[in-house]
Amino acid sequence: MRKVTLGRIIAYIVLVLGALSMTIPFLWMISTSFKDLSEVFVFPPTFFGEKIVWKNYLRVSDRYPFGKFFLNSINISVVVVVFQVLTSSMAGFAFARLKFKGREALFALYLATLMVPFHVTLVPTFVMMRNFGWVDTHYSLILPSLVSAFGTFLMRQFFITIPVELEESARIDGCTPFGIFARIFLPLSKPALATLGVFTFMGTWNDYIKPLIFINSVAKMTVPLGLASMQGHYSTDWPVLMAGTVIALLPVLVVFLLAQEYFVQGITLSGIKG
Amino acid sequence: MSKHVVRVCLVVLSVILLSQAALAQVTLQFMGWEASPLETESVQRGLRRFEELNPGIKVEYIPVGGDEYHTRLLTMMAGNAAPDVFFINAEGYYRNFARRGVLLELDEYFYQSLSLDDFIPMEQDKMLVDGKIYGTSSCVVAPVLYYNKDLFDKAGLPYPPSDPKEAWTWDEFIEVAKQLTIEQNGRVTQFGVYGFENMHPREAAIYSNNGLIFSEDYSKLDMGPKAQEALTKILELRTVHKVSPPAAFLEQSGMNAAQMLQTGRVAMVADGSWALQELAKMNFSVGVGVLPIMERPITAGTAHLHSIWSGTKHPEEAWKLVEFLSSEEYQIGLVREGLWMPNRAHMYELEDRGRWMDPEVHPEGFEGIADYFADYVLPNPSIFVPREAWDIFEEELDKFFLDDQPLDKVVENMRRRIDPILQ
Amino acid sequence: MKLRKLKYSDSFWAFILLLPNLLGFLIFTVFPVVASFVLSFSEWDLLSPMKFVGVSNYVNLASDETFWKVLWNTFYFTLGTVPIGIALSLLLAVALNQKIRGVKLFRAMYFLPVISSTVAVAIVWQWLYNPHFGLLNYILSLFGIEGPLWLTSTTWAMPAVIITSIWKGLGFNMLLFLAGLQGIDSQFYEAAKIDGANAVRQFFHITVPLLAPTTFFVTVMSIINSFQVFDQIHVMTQGGPARSTSVLVHYLYQNAFQYFKMGYASAIAYVLFIIIFVVTMLQFRRTKSWAIY
Repeated sequence: MRKVTLGRIIAYIVLVLGALSMTIPFLWMISTSFKDLSEVFVFPPTFFGEKIVWKNYLRVSDRYPFGKFFLNSINISVVVVVFQVLTSSMAGFAFARLKFKGREALFALYLATLMVPFHVTLVPTFVMMRNFGWVDTHYSLILPSLVSAFGTFLMRQFFITIPVELEESARIDGCTPFGIFARIFLPLSKPALATLGVFTFMGTWNDYIKPLIFINSVAKMTVPLGLASMQGHYSTDWPVLMAGTVIALLPVLVVFLLAQEYFVQGITLSGIKG
Repeated sequence: MSKHVVRVCLVVLSVILLSQAALAQVTLQFMGWEASPLETESVQRGLRRFEELNPGIKVEYIPVGGDEYHTRLLTMMAGNAAPDVFFINAEGYYRNFARRGVLLELDEYFYQSLSLDDFIPMEQDKMLVDGKIYGTSSCVVAPVLYYNKDLFDKAGLPYPPSDPKEAWTWDEFIEVAKQLTIEQNGRVTQFGVYGFENMHPREAAIYSNNGLIFSEDYSKLDMGPKAQEALTKILELRTVHKVSPPAAFLEQSGMNAAQMLQTGRVAMVADGSWALQELAKMNFSVGVGVLPIMERPITAGTAHLHSIWSGTKHPEEAWKLVEFLSSEEYQIGLVREGLWMPNRAHMYELEDRGRWMDPEVHPEGFEGIADYFADYVLPNPSIFVPREAWDIFEEELDKFFLDDQPLDKVVENMRRRIDPILQ
Repeated sequence: MKLRKLKYSDSFWAFILLLPNLLGFLIFTVFPVVASFVLSFSEWDLLSPMKFVGVSNYVNLASDETFWKVLWNTFYFTLGTVPIGIALSLLLAVALNQKIRGVKLFRAMYFLPVISSTVAVAIVWQWLYNPHFGLLNYILSLFGIEGPLWLTSTTWAMPAVIITSIWKGLGFNMLLFLAGLQGIDSQFYEAAKIDGANAVRQFFHITVPLLAPTTFFVTVMSIINSFQVFDQIHVMTQGGPARSTSVLVHYLYQNAFQYFKMGYASAIAYVLFIIIFVVTMLQFRRTKSWAIY
């Protein structure tokens, strides 16, 4: 009995220390965002300023259309999530449960491209976007992300774990392959779909290098790109910069808090059965 | 009768409509970077004036922040969607872009209304690429020595001279800097000088010591003993004389050079002449002097150009804008605010100086600085080499200034890495 | 009859279900991968016509000091982030698996950095790393340690980027490990307890081997990710000082979009690809018995 308690105490200590190091940067960010510039450059640093300076938050959107950045990011992320989940689950099902010629070879190709760093495709994708006339449009951010080899892989891994009996009895009952997919597999895979959805949302929302290369106009920028260009302007105005990062982090935080259970459950189940 | 009236009215109406169509607005896109919000305001004020003068042309100004400016410009050009007119950095990019054929050659326009000889020699060198013009000079900027007058008064020291003929020698300068370095409880609370390790003052010092960075034709690195001596002297400000703050002090303090000068953390700052715009608006008494000399008074200038995209649909209108941006009228606006220095030779003549010097901005003794810019400016060598080569130069110099590596080794590395790029 | 057959045909439905995915995959993955390979044998600035130059880009890479430097930096970054990141996240996962109170809260806290954008995180850490007014050196000073100059020091900039990256990725790996741990049958532990094995022995003799598939996945993913690091470096240091934090993707970006050398950049991209490929293959071979494919 004592042993278990000791183990738990150690576990607590580890967890609390870890949690502190995880959250302190965020608290410091929030605290700085409410400080006056003069309170920032003091030693030793203080966690709380003399008064709460809301002005920093106004100054962020003073010079940058942060609302616009938000709308852009949301637009792009939602479209990408919907399509990527759809295409990934369809193809994942085909790879997991349908027999067709060349399946193994094609899946191996998908797997192989998982190893290809995205950056390998950067230059040709840019050239392609240029030829389509999509540079500095949101198409350049949306279209290349509608399909993902990783998502396909993830869904395939999940579908493989669904018991064969379910499928067989459905086939005997005269269900078409599509019926099996739509009526049996999809409803069973809500957690996996949610996981992929949240992953994709985060990935798209936080993407930096694609907007950096494809987007030029301020009005079309996404949140991370807007934030990074803001850094160029307010190089040492830390309160304003921190206010900007606070604003940028809020929506993902909300999505995460809302979808946390789904997300964790999804990871645990589809298990990235690795 | 009434039919006739109607008909006349119709004719008149259609003539009006047609002429309206002929007068239809051309909208030019004009892209620039934003070095400071003040600069953007000044540019926009100028553009409003241009629109007043040219009712048929509207200008849409696109300020872009930071380091990614030329990357964006390139991708826009490659995407066939570049702005009609834009700033282009003389350093590393102007020549590079011109040789790639993406800048409209301006000779036929330029010589009709402007004369190359009007410009100070450095600006002529800057504009000409293989004998042709692809962009017109905006202005000139070069490093000078800013100082906080209060700190000098407190120490009872004379201000740094602004007349290039009376410039301090390097040793005199070190002596003053030593007296302005104040230590309290083992911690330095006020440093004598900051900024010589940065780009621009650094190159000015090399030139001042009669050194070179590249060969005359920029085909190879040529950093002889003179250049190395200058760099060593700069390093010694910090390591031997202890009058300069630790390397990268600026990034660490979270302040810019102007703020450090204002708050008295540093008594003198070597920084670009453009900083005067910001300094003049800060509440302290700032002075401007010439850089101390190693062997001769010299400073190393630069500044962006205004170019037209070779793919523009409105070359005539675009030129009108560039011409306006090169005009004295536009330039004087930004010069009077302390951001720019004039690029025309005649503006430095005594009777012309009153037109652009503003006692609210340009401190006492600025006459000397005008002489400095008229006669002692050389172009910064970074104007004539590709960005890649300059990146390596900076990277290797970091090793000397930040990493204590021996200079001869650093120069050897530079030579080995830069020469293949220049050839 | 034929239609009816088609309706039940696996191949037909596989084609239909795969089609949209395959199209996107071919256009936006396979084609660029091939095109990039072709580009890597050319000289092109996007503006003037493309010129084929054979293998000279690769030959130049071999003698490009900067390339070797960024390659080394990339390895340095990977060696710095992956092992420590995995050890720490495993530790946290094991601690979190002790059936303690507040699991959800802890889990959410650890996940905060994961969901945050790298750009935002990088800006916050830049401020934390400020040698004079940043929180980090202040905390160090409480322990009597004089903190380094972090991002402006050629020695400490890379460790600083590594710390930030570990911090950011910890929660994700932890969650994967947690899922793996929860998949281990408690019977094993009970049997071990009867045999008198202590916690440490249990950890090394049950947890570690049974967690191997998860560890394999986490390791491969972490290596792949760290070889592709860019965002935090571009925001925090721009590769400096003295190129001490410049990594492969940063150099690729510079070549493509700052020096306008698309062919050279593509060659760098291919080297990156080959490295990641080799590493993954090594992993696959070594851990074949655990692999699930």
